[in-house]
Amino acid sequence: MIILEITGLTKNFGGLTAVSNIDMKVNDGEVLGLIGPNGAGKTTFFNLVTGVIRPTKGKVVYKGKDITGKKSHEIAELGVGRTFQLNPLFPNFTVLENVLYSFQLRPCSSLLDTFFNSPTYRNNEAYIMEQSLEILNLVGLYKVKDELAKNQPHGYQKMLGVARALAIKPELLLLDEPIAGMNPDEIDNTIAAIKRTSQLGVTIILVEHNMKILEICDRVVVINFGQNIVEGSPQEIKENPEVIKAYLGSGHDTKH
Amino acid sequence: MGLMVATRDFINRRKNVTQIFVFGTLTCLLTFVPMITNSPYNLHIFILTLIYIIAAASMRFIITSGQIPLAHGAFMGLGAYVSGVLSKHFGISPWITLFAAALVSMGIGTLISFPFARLKAFYYSMISLFFGVGMLQTIESFGKITGGITGITGIPTLFNSASKVPFYYCFLALMLISLFILYRFEVSRIGWNLKAIEQSYLVAGSVGISVVKYRVLAVAIGCFFAGLAGGMYATYNVTVSPVSFDMTATLWLIIYVTIGGMGSFAGPIIGTLVLFLLPQYYRGLKQYTPFISAAILFVVLYTFRNGLVSVPGLVVSFYKKRKKVKVIDNS
Repeated sequence: MIILEITGLTKNFGGLTAVSNIDMKVNDGEVLGLIGPNGAGKTTFFNLVTGVIRPTKGKVVYKGKDITGKKSHEIAELGVGRTFQLNPLFPNFTVLENVLYSFQLRPCSSLLDTFFNSPTYRNNEAYIMEQSLEILNLVGLYKVKDELAKNQPHGYQKMLGVARALAIKPELLLLDEPIAGMNPDEIDNTIAAIKRTSQLGVTIILVEHNMKILEICDRVVVINFGQNIVEGSPQEIKENPEVIKAYLGSGHDTKH
Repeated sequence: MGLMVATRDFINRRKNVTQIFVFGTLTCLLTFVPMITNSPYNLHIFILTLIYIIAAASMRFIITSGQIPLAHGAFMGLGAYVSGVLSKHFGISPWITLFAAALVSMGIGTLISFPFARLKAFYYSMISLFFGVGMLQTIESFGKITGGITGITGIPTLFNSASKVPFYYCFLALMLISLFILYRFEVSRIGWNLKAIEQSYLVAGSVGISVVKYRVLAVAIGCFFAGLAGGMYATYNVTVSPVSFDMTATLWLIIYVTIGGMGSFAGPIIGTLVLFLLPQYYRGLKQYTPFISAAILFVVLYTFRNGLVSVPGLVVSFYKKRKKVKVIDNS
């Protein structure tokens, strides 16, 4: 089953075409890697899919529903979670609060329930508390749950971004450079956490520079200059001459 | 997991106990004010304090969402004028116009915040600045109804007695109710969502918080209480003039909030109390009040960045540190 289908997605910033004519199909339950050199348009692509910016042209269809140009909170409600490359969290909340207050969608309390602190509201909050602690266990942040998010090391902050995205109970999760700037230990932990998440049945699209993450991808799409150039299994991608050219330049260039 | 939930409940309850204690003490003290002092002037100052506490607390509520409402004084003015005009020219009871003022203020606040809620919070601050100035000019220009630059006089009052005591208790009750409502909003999920939006509206959107809805909600609630405070001012003061609600009024509100501490619910209450009651000790230097207030603001911002509310916490942590040092010395 296809969970996300993108046709002819294009975004122009003035004269600059950041994303041009991308077509992509994402199958339910797979881990899809999206790689490409700096400025290839990967983050813009994420922003287009999650409604942070509107596409100039093209269509995004999620589970048979057209979500092009919807607002980001509406897309989140449909079950598309995402993380951010920079500033991935609420810095002045504790780690636990970051996850707690990312639970917006289910269960939902009405304004009146909230205001009068009714039993329904308290039950909901207790349920949310339990779920949040479970998520923190899953990503391995349980031990720092009561510390301020901004005081955490970079690796933890990134993982917290994932935890936060999991709080909306996503069916599709978009991870923007989940292991950028991490040390090898943290990379191993993160990859393990992503694997665990994937086993829960969440479809994952991840953007990365680091080739190490390819190990866990079922399929990899390479984009450059806003266009997808190659698509295939991780092994095929590693050996593809066009990909090597995109990252390292052509042999002709390096000689001069 | 169950244990963890219990712990959190316990912590919350302990926090609640401290807060209830502090607010209870404050309420008791304020209840006994008319019995301690007989002078109408003192009571007048206390009544104004009550009104401005509502205004400052509601301003802080909007600030928690990251938007700085630079029209808050003007919304108070709007409330005062609505209340004054309705009760004077249309003969409606001041009890009703008080709430009509709050509702009108809320409606207009919602209208102007809506188009800017999807942008960065900074734009709301800017537009509210222009809107606040424009709103007062508009009110002034309807001279026939509003009395132009001189304002309205002879507004019907809530109580026809010469004493100010009934006013005091009525406004104390209104203030406590307003603070209770604002506090419930603040500690519930709504308040937390506003704080989340303040920290990062992109992240907030990505987890499903409707940024527009919550920002508009914050402004609507804040403007409701600003309008209420304005209405109270009109029915108490009998006269309303545009001078009381110009940009300076907003700046004073910002100073009350900052001195008390923006980060805490008690901040604006303490800030307003201090800046209203302290000048009574140097009444002879009345013309220097702005300078003295500025000096207080400077000292507070320089020494306690989080406002006067952070002082007890700082003192406690200071003594804890000293104890620790002592233990090390003994060993």
